[in-house]
Formats: sequence, C-alpha cells, structure tokens
Amino acid sequence: MIRERTLGQEPLYQVISHILRGNITSGRLPQGLVLIEGPIAKMMQTSRAPVQAALRNLNDAGLIHRFRGRGYLVGPPTETLTPIRRSLDDFKLDISEQSKSALEIRGTWLRVYDQVEAEIAACQIFGEYRVIETELADYLGVSRTVARDVLSRLNERGLVRKGATSHWLAGPLTARTLREKFQLRGIVEPEALRLAADHINPLEVGRIRDEINSGAVTGSDVLENAFLRICLERAPNTVLVEIIRNNRLLLSSVDKALSGLGLPADSVALEQYRTLFDLIGSRQIDAAAEYLKEHLRLLAYKSLARLKIVAIIPETESLPRYLTPV
Amino acid sequence: MPTNLSTDYKLASPPRVKRRKLRVRGTDVTLVEQVRKQAAADLQIDIEFEVLDFLTCQHRAAMDPENYDVYEQCFHNLDIVWYWGALQPIDTDRITEWDNIGDLAKDGGISKYTWQGHGDAPIRKLYVQPDGMIGQQQMRHISMLPTAHNMDSFGYDRRVFGDGGPDGPSWAWLFDPRAKGRIALVDEPAIGIFDAALAAEANGDLTFADIGNMTIDEIDSLMALLETLRQQGFFCGTWVAPQEAEAMLHADRVSVQSMWAPSYGNLGAMEGVFTESVPREGYRAWHGGASLARHLSGAQLDVAYDYLNWWLTGPAGAMMARRGYYMTVPKRVREQLAPEEWDYWYDGQIARADLQGPAGNTVVRAGQKRPGGAYRDRVSRIAMWNMVMDEYNYAARAWKHFVSSLREVTA
Repeated sequence: MIRERTLGQEPLYQVISHILRGNITSGRLPQGLVLIEGPIAKMMQTSRAPVQAALRNLNDAGLIHRFRGRGYLVGPPTETLTPIRRSLDDFKLDISEQSKSALEIRGTWLRVYDQVEAEIAACQIFGEYRVIETELADYLGVSRTVARDVLSRLNERGLVRKGATSHWLAGPLTARTLREKFQLRGIVEPEALRLAADHINPLEVGRIRDEINSGAVTGSDVLENAFLRICLERAPNTVLVEIIRNNRLLLSSVDKALSGLGLPADSVALEQYRTLFDLIGSRQIDAAAEYLKEHLRLLAYKSLARLKIVAIIPETESLPRYLTPV
Repeated sequence: MPTNLSTDYKLASPPRVKRRKLRVRGTDVTLVEQVRKQAAADLQIDIEFEVLDFLTCQHRAAMDPENYDVYEQCFHNLDIVWYWGALQPIDTDRITEWDNIGDLAKDGGISKYTWQGHGDAPIRKLYVQPDGMIGQQQMRHISMLPTAHNMDSFGYDRRVFGDGGPDGPSWAWLFDPRAKGRIALVDEPAIGIFDAALAAEANGDLTFADIGNMTIDEIDSLMALLETLRQQGFFCGTWVAPQEAEAMLHADRVSVQSMWAPSYGNLGAMEGVFTESVPREGYRAWHGGASLARHLSGAQLDVAYDYLNWWLTGPAGAMMARRGYYMTVPKRVREQLAPEEWDYWYDGQIARADLQGPAGNTVVRAGQKRPGGAYRDRVSRIAMWNMVMDEYNYAARAWKHFVSSLREVTA
C-alpha cells in the first residue's frame, strides 16, 4: 500500500520516464527507433506534456537524442544511427505492475479532476465550505490518495486552502475576489491580445464571425471560450497564457453556476463579442484591446450585481455531499 | 347556402369584453389594498397584488420573470433584477407626469448643494445607458419609475432618553447601555445592517471608509461588535414585518428600535412615550418605484403603462402620505389631500385636526407636529440610502448568522 501511494504521488513524467528507460536499457526499444510524443501519450493514456518532460529527461541522461527529424532517436548522440520508424505497439513494452497502477491512478485522476474543480469553484458563490477528503474519495469512488492528489492540485490553483485546523476550505467568493480577478483580466488580456496579433488565424476569426451573424451562437460563454482559444492562447508567452487560464477558472465556474440557476443569455455581451471579433478580423488590434478592456469593465459590474442573487438562495440544494457549509 | 351571412351570424348581444388583468409583484410598502381597489376602479381593470417580503420579492422577480407584469420594489435592490434581464426599459415619453417628478429622484437631490448621501441614491440606478447598464447619465429610458420614498430613523422611549438635548437623538442610542436588553433591529440585510453601522459609527466604535459599500474587514468588525453586544444581552430581538415591531412596542419590551413611518400611527398606549427620532447624523433613506416585466408587449404593456401613470396622478400618493411616505409628484398629491393633511405630512406644520390613515383609523392627533418637519428639511438630512452593497452576499450571510443566534437566545 505504502509503495503504491509513493507511486501515486510520483509525478507522471517520472513514471513515463521510468517505463521508457527500462525498455531502452533492456534493449526492447532498439537503437535508432524514432520516439514521438503523440503515440507515447496515447499509449500511456496521458496528455502530451508529461511525455515531453519524460523525453527531455531521457535526452539529458544521454539515453535518447534529438535528430534532424521530428522527435528523438533511441541511443546516445555519439552514434550515427539510421532512424527506424515503427509503431510502438510492435515492441510490446514491458511495464511493471507498479507503473501500470501508477498510470491508472493518474488516469482516474484526470477523469475526476475536472468534475471536482467545477463543483468546488461553483460552491464558492454560496459561501464558505469544508471539503471532506474521505467523503470526496467515497463520492468519486477513488482511493484517498487520489482524492488528496486532486485537492493538492486545487490548492495549487488557489481553489481550496488549508484552514487553521488543517481542514480543506473553499470560498467564499467575495466581491473583492471577483473584482480583483476582473481587474487582472483587464490588465493581462488586452496585452496578450496585442502579443497574439500576428499569430491569430484570420480564417478562424472569420468562422466565428459567420457563426455569430448566422445566429448559430447564442451564448456569450461560447464566444468567451472561443476568444481565449483562437486569440489569447496564440500569444507567444506560455506563462502569460497560463495566468489568463487560471484566472478565468473561477469566473467561468461562476457563470456556469449562474446560468444553472436560470440566468438568461446576455445579449449585450454577445453584441460586444461580435464587435470584438470584427475589430480583430479587420486587424485593428489596438482598438480591439481597448474595446476588450471596456467590455471587461462592464462585465465585472454586471457579474457583481448578478451574483448578489445567491445571498438569498438556499445553498444546499444541489451541492455534492463532500461539501459542508462552514 | 345562406344568402346573407352577416345577418345570420349577428350576435344577440355585444360580446362580453373580458377585463384585462394586471399582476403586480412587490412588498407591503406600496402594495396596499386601498391602492389596489382604487387603481382597479380608476383604470377599469383587474389587479392582482402578490405581496412578498423584500428578499423573496427580489429573488422571485429575478428568477421567475414570467409571472408578473409590474414589479414594485426599491431602487436599492434593482440592479440584481435588472442584470438578471427580468425587466424592460420604461420610455419616459409615455409617462405623462415625467416632467413633474421631483429633483430628488431625477437629479439626485433637491438642489445642487444637497449632498446625495452614501449608498444607492435612486439616480445612480435610474437611467438606462446605451450599453444596457443602469446609471445616472440622463437618458430617455429608465429602469424603474420613482414613486414612494421616505427617510427612516429609529423610534425611542422618552422615559429612557429624554429629548436628546440640543443635538437631538443619535443613532448611537441603538447601542446605548441605558436601553440594554430592550433594543430591536429590523431583520433585513440591506436595511438593518445599516442601522447597526450608523449606530457603531455614531458611538465611535467603528468608522467606515464608505458606509454604503463596506469592505469585508469592515463587515467583519461590525458583525464582531454586534456579536459582543448580543452576548452582553443588549438586544431583545429583531423584526421582519412592521407589525412585529409594533407588537414589541405595545408589550413594552423595547426602549429603542428600528422603526418605519406607518408604525408611528399605531403606537397604542405608547403614544406620547415612544417617539420618531430625528437623528443628528441624518436619515437612512429609501426610494420605491415600479418596473415593467421584460415579457410585456402590445395591449398588456399599454395596461402596465396605464398603471404606472396612475401611480403619479395623486390618489396613490395621498394614500402613501397617510402612511408617512412621500411621492415623486407632490403637486398631484396635494390635489387629493385635505389642506390640513398636506400641511402636516408635507409641510411639517402642527396638525389642526385628527388625521386618518389609509384604513380610516386616526394616526395623527390634533396638535402633533411631524418629527423632522417639512419634506425639504427631511430630504436635506439624508445621511445614506438603503443599499445592496458589493459584498452583499458576505454581509447577508453574516447578518443571517447574527439574527439566528439572537433568535435562539430570545426564543
């Protein structure tokens, strides 16, 4: 049990790195074999990021090396090797039981994380809650290890914190938090848009504008996400994009929770996105950045007013049982 | 085939025209039975009043917008309902008396020298801006038609406090040791919390950077102070409906408490003992109004406009005056009041005769003078307006907690 827990908490890239290293040193993966992120991630059922890190790791250790094509070659950089391009499935990788269970735990983790993140973000509008780890594990049907992992990640993202008695606490979402998050959006998003200007695909912007004009999109949340995806995330600054994504986390959960309560679509916001995409589409990036700032100012104000409705809604109605009001 | 269709199908009597029905959702501040009857008679329509408490009313107005035509509430919680998209803008071109509405609602004060007060002065939420927001830049469309309003304070027992000396009564009295164990507050987070805040600031316990929009820290401090006073046994209770305040008064359980105008007409045996204060720090004001539901259109929208216009014609204002409330078109109210009524309620003069309330009972005795005097004098002493603050959720939860622990002890 203890061994499994250790593995469960081992970063995923290390688990992957461990598996590949074993199979390279045993000779199961021959020298010259081309290793590409995508197929490895698919095989291990993870995202690409940990595979990327694992490959870098092996590269630093001299077990694999970069070559003139995509990916890495198995073997030290000193050797002149002919690239072998074959599917990983052909080599029947040797994966220990420990690594397998570590991958499974990680798989479960990925599956449940998004759900818990959404629920915990949503509850904060109703006040302050204690998150009970055992109840969470029970609710999700996972081990306490996984539940704790999930909470640690939420803690990193600022959605839960440890209270004085070392209980996990979430919320309350105050007007101050909301205002600060919108203020941060107003500072970083227009700048990200300016940086992204040359990397935005005009065809994608055109497609969104067509969808708005044809009435295919009616929710401003869809446009908000599209704007993030096809514009802001194109900024060549991953740290900035990560800040923007994290900062939006709680805000979009609030929007989801409010529309769950019956908040109708905001036609004014929809119009504002249309204008925004029009400006970006016509390459008026400075104007678009200023317009975005104003749109965010109004949105902050409206969100604040809308959120006041929850003061008088009985909060316990639809919350999962691992959350108890403080 | 009949040769003459028109004669064959001629009806024996003209068709019975179904009277239109207007559904009004609001609170007992303006949803008074005499108002309903009079409006129904004058407009020749059926009117249904749905009377709810403040919180339920704003909640249902926002989340259940299909089941009312007109929403009557206060400006201070209008933004919640507005930004939930439940209402439609009112075209002031269709409001007959719009030009006669007083400056307090339209311009924010009775003169440019008047301080608007902290909190939600109605003008800050009145005009519908081109971007769909509500604000004070003058526009043709408005969010709510301003109607009844008043300046609230607290009531006190003269046997305990005397007349307050040269400076007059102070909000500090709500936390005064002389009344320990006999103090009550109104249980409404957008109102009661400000009575408490005004008291805390007046007696020097706390200061607020903006009492109309407290920070989390300020709310924490205020709630901590209330909790300390509660534990020391200062409060005897809270009230939701004014009748509850009156009951505590009749039972001689309170020496000072939050109180609203109509209750002063129902003091019973406490007449002459219990008095409406004119706080030296100024009043806490509120402004009511009527809004149109988003779903209204065509003939039903016309009926709703008729009803809104009727509110300003005078009869409603006269009934409001007899409850101690003011109306936005005083000129038309004056036409409907007896001179002695106008002189007492609006002009602050000594009552020349006994005056009746809307239900016909005597609410003012000859020889009495309205505390605070004339309309202009009272309006110029507004310290703050009722307010749904930015941190309303936080404050409302803390307030609820305070009220329930108070109930546990007093129950």
